[in-house]
Amino acid sequence: MATDSSTDLTLDSAAALAADEQGEIEGKSPWLLAWRRLRRNYVALGFLVLFVVIVLLCAFAGTYASQIAHTGPNDNHLGETFTKDGKQVPVVSKGGFTTGGEFVAGGIPVGPQLWHAGGRYVFGADNQGRDVAVRLLYGGRNSLLIGIGSAIFCMVFALLTALLAAYYGGWVDWLISRVYDLIWAFPVLLLAIALGTALSINGFHHLGINLAAGSLWIPTGVIAFVLIPYVGRPLRGQILSLREKEFVEAATAQGASSVRVMVGELLPNIASSALVLFTLIIATNIITEAGLSFLGAGVQPPNPSWGTLIADGQSRIVTAPWLAIIPGIAIVLTVLSLNVFGDGLRDALDPRAKVRAER
Amino acid sequence: MTKRSRSIRFVGALVLVSALAFLAGCGGGGNKSSSGSSGGSNEGKTYPLLRVVWDAPDYMDPALYYTVAAYQLTNYVWEGLVGYKHENGPGGATLVPYLAEKMPTISADGKNYKFTLRDGLKYSNGNAVKASDFRCTIERDFKMDSPGVGFYSDITGVSGSSGYAETKKGHISGIITNDANRTVEIKLDSPRGDFLYILAMEFSHFVPCGTPASDQSTHPIPATGPYMVQSYRPNRSITMVRNPNYNDQIPTMPTGNPDKVEATIITDPVAAYQRVISGQADYDYQPVPTDRLPEAQSKYKEQLRIYTNANTYYYAINNRIPPFNNIQARKAAQMAIDPQAIISGIYGGLGRPTENFLPPGYPQYKKIDAWSFDLAKAKQLVQQSGTAGQTVDVYGPNEDPSKSTTEYLANQLTKIGYKTKLHLLEHSVYFQTIGAQKTRAQAMFTDWYQDYPHPLDWFDVLLNGNRITETHNNNPGNVNVPSVNKEIDALKKISEITPEVNARWAKVDKDLMATYATTIPYMNRSQTDFFGTKMDMSCYVFGVVTFWDFGLSCQK
Repeated sequence: MATDSSTDLTLDSAAALAADEQGEIEGKSPWLLAWRRLRRNYVALGFLVLFVVIVLLCAFAGTYASQIAHTGPNDNHLGETFTKDGKQVPVVSKGGFTTGGEFVAGGIPVGPQLWHAGGRYVFGADNQGRDVAVRLLYGGRNSLLIGIGSAIFCMVFALLTALLAAYYGGWVDWLISRVYDLIWAFPVLLLAIALGTALSINGFHHLGINLAAGSLWIPTGVIAFVLIPYVGRPLRGQILSLREKEFVEAATAQGASSVRVMVGELLPNIASSALVLFTLIIATNIITEAGLSFLGAGVQPPNPSWGTLIADGQSRIVTAPWLAIIPGIAIVLTVLSLNVFGDGLRDALDPRAKVRAER
Repeated sequence: MTKRSRSIRFVGALVLVSALAFLAGCGGGGNKSSSGSSGGSNEGKTYPLLRVVWDAPDYMDPALYYTVAAYQLTNYVWEGLVGYKHENGPGGATLVPYLAEKMPTISADGKNYKFTLRDGLKYSNGNAVKASDFRCTIERDFKMDSPGVGFYSDITGVSGSSGYAETKKGHISGIITNDANRTVEIKLDSPRGDFLYILAMEFSHFVPCGTPASDQSTHPIPATGPYMVQSYRPNRSITMVRNPNYNDQIPTMPTGNPDKVEATIITDPVAAYQRVISGQADYDYQPVPTDRLPEAQSKYKEQLRIYTNANTYYYAINNRIPPFNNIQARKAAQMAIDPQAIISGIYGGLGRPTENFLPPGYPQYKKIDAWSFDLAKAKQLVQQSGTAGQTVDVYGPNEDPSKSTTEYLANQLTKIGYKTKLHLLEHSVYFQTIGAQKTRAQAMFTDWYQDYPHPLDWFDVLLNGNRITETHNNNPGNVNVPSVNKEIDALKKISEITPEVNARWAKVDKDLMATYATTIPYMNRSQTDFFGTKMDMSCYVFGVVTFWDFGLSCQK
């Protein structure tokens, strides 16, 4: 789990920062210092650029579909042809029985055309004649939306519960910790599959929330839910230690309310940890979403996601390997970029980690 | 409704049998196969072990199973009073006496059947087969709510509020047995021409009295046929060995060539195909994966057989609720579907396009040519119907190729102006879900493989509006055309097949598929049998009922 590394996060005193930092730190905020460190980390920045490029490509999926590929992500083109180098080529090869009764095998989708077909079928077609490149971009959009969306939900709930548990302690802490334990007791993927499968059949219609069976909110919510303890626990640990610090005592002595202490004092002090966790958990969530969708418990057909694209391609891995390999590469690049950038961000926000790394 | 359900019932005269040549297989499978055998010596052809890759059967208990995966193996294990000749082609639909010493005496009014069991019959555990076992078998079916109990509703004492089907107490009065004389007498409330075929079905296969009325799949029931089930591990394997007490007690069926059959259950067609190619198995039950067909055809042509049995793949559209309670909308949906595109793209060419509900090969079949794929016209019809923009809930199984076929339907309906919501379900719950009215499915993937070769099995079971039910509805499209219902009910009473009757059935087909556009048939699917290099293909026998006859197989 990417979140395991977050337990190494430490809080830095000004003295420690000054000792570690190269150059003048006087008058500079911790965030500015972190940015100064981050911009010196070219690898992390490079992967951040890669991630941004992927996000932008996926964000403009609609434009690509309408202006270049001229097809939607779910539009089948069975029985159709397209022009390649001036010739008509079937999108999926034709087959059947001849009038003489001879069987001719068909059903082989066209392979990657790159630039040879005027922007159509750049990465080939699937067994329904759908444009793989278009589905890859739309699938990426869904995967990223779920990955980022679930990370946001997960982070918000984890922060909230961790703050409440650590600040109030007592039975509040006991109750929240036991709920964490309960969720933690299940293997992440198994719990997600169980919830995803159950909800993908009839949707979610409780507590005034109505989500249809194919809604993207379902995998988003499921992934956020199963990962809450993995984010909440380390945050709770940090807040427990912060709560004993002098600045919290000072704020309390000045008559600050509990909410004020939590929001005004504790939250800013764990913001850097939360930010690092956030980037790392997006990567985890994208992988979890791909796994769920691959198993049919995440994004529901015909909507694409990188997981469903791999699932669709796996049965043709021998004859049309691109169907599974291309979305696989997309996942690898996205997760790698997030992880490398997340590590860089952690190094920037946590100089002690950097010092350890340099030793 | 079952996938690849295939127990055979037969109503009417044997004239149908001659039409079944179609079922015997077609296409570029390779050499002609041998003609098979109905019994007798297998000298020189026996071999120690047949290793097959198989599909998961639903059950391995003759009261419960209803899939080809179970039947194709166990038709050599449990037997009935009568059974099918083990022959290639139409001859394979001929009934011969199995446990009965000869075909029954049937009363003039067609309501009384008398059988005498062969002398000295034994189960595989050495116990004698008794006439009363037949009664126990049928009563056990009822006690277990077997899917086959509907076939026995005409036996005296079964139906009605005090009938055995309701009370499950005492005995069925219409089955009179005498163990000492080895006689079985069956009385019917009304004659039915298909009754002998019902007696050949798995639900009529003898099990000993006292067999628990619960699923015995993993505790194999003693066999009466040439083989017995040695072990069954659900989703893993089936092992069959020779029945030590068989002693050629059924001379009308083959003794079987392999001494032992080891079936490994692999449901993934890619893995199954690979296993045969790598020499780890001698036969692949699963269809050769679409994308591997060219390879199979070129590299392993001698080992591949392609057949088309009696089936129809169709989209059911709910005639009861909007938008498809509107005939213009139904016609639009018909025109939005391109059968050849589905067959080519999704099934790799393994199928034949159709607009008929009844498969070709039946004497009642008359080719319908009413529709042509025309999206523009379909869009126009949707506009005219006033249903454009309505939401359509499209249902299908979540495994390919059914999944892709359902996605195709949803996409085509979107193209002609509907909003679609796709619901892909596990196969195990799919048919019961669309068979429940409360689901309100509007467009659905479905298919049908004949239970018995008669139009009743198609039109009465699947499209008679008088048989629509709230749950377990075999007519998920709620097709209900009163004039056609009346005609089906009238034809049901006619057991004699004449050209005039055939023409009336053909009109039923045309009325439902073309005039009222109630349903969208698009394909008669073809399937593959793929063999390892050890197998001697000159012994290949494909029965219209038994499919590939493993008992007659031989090795090089």
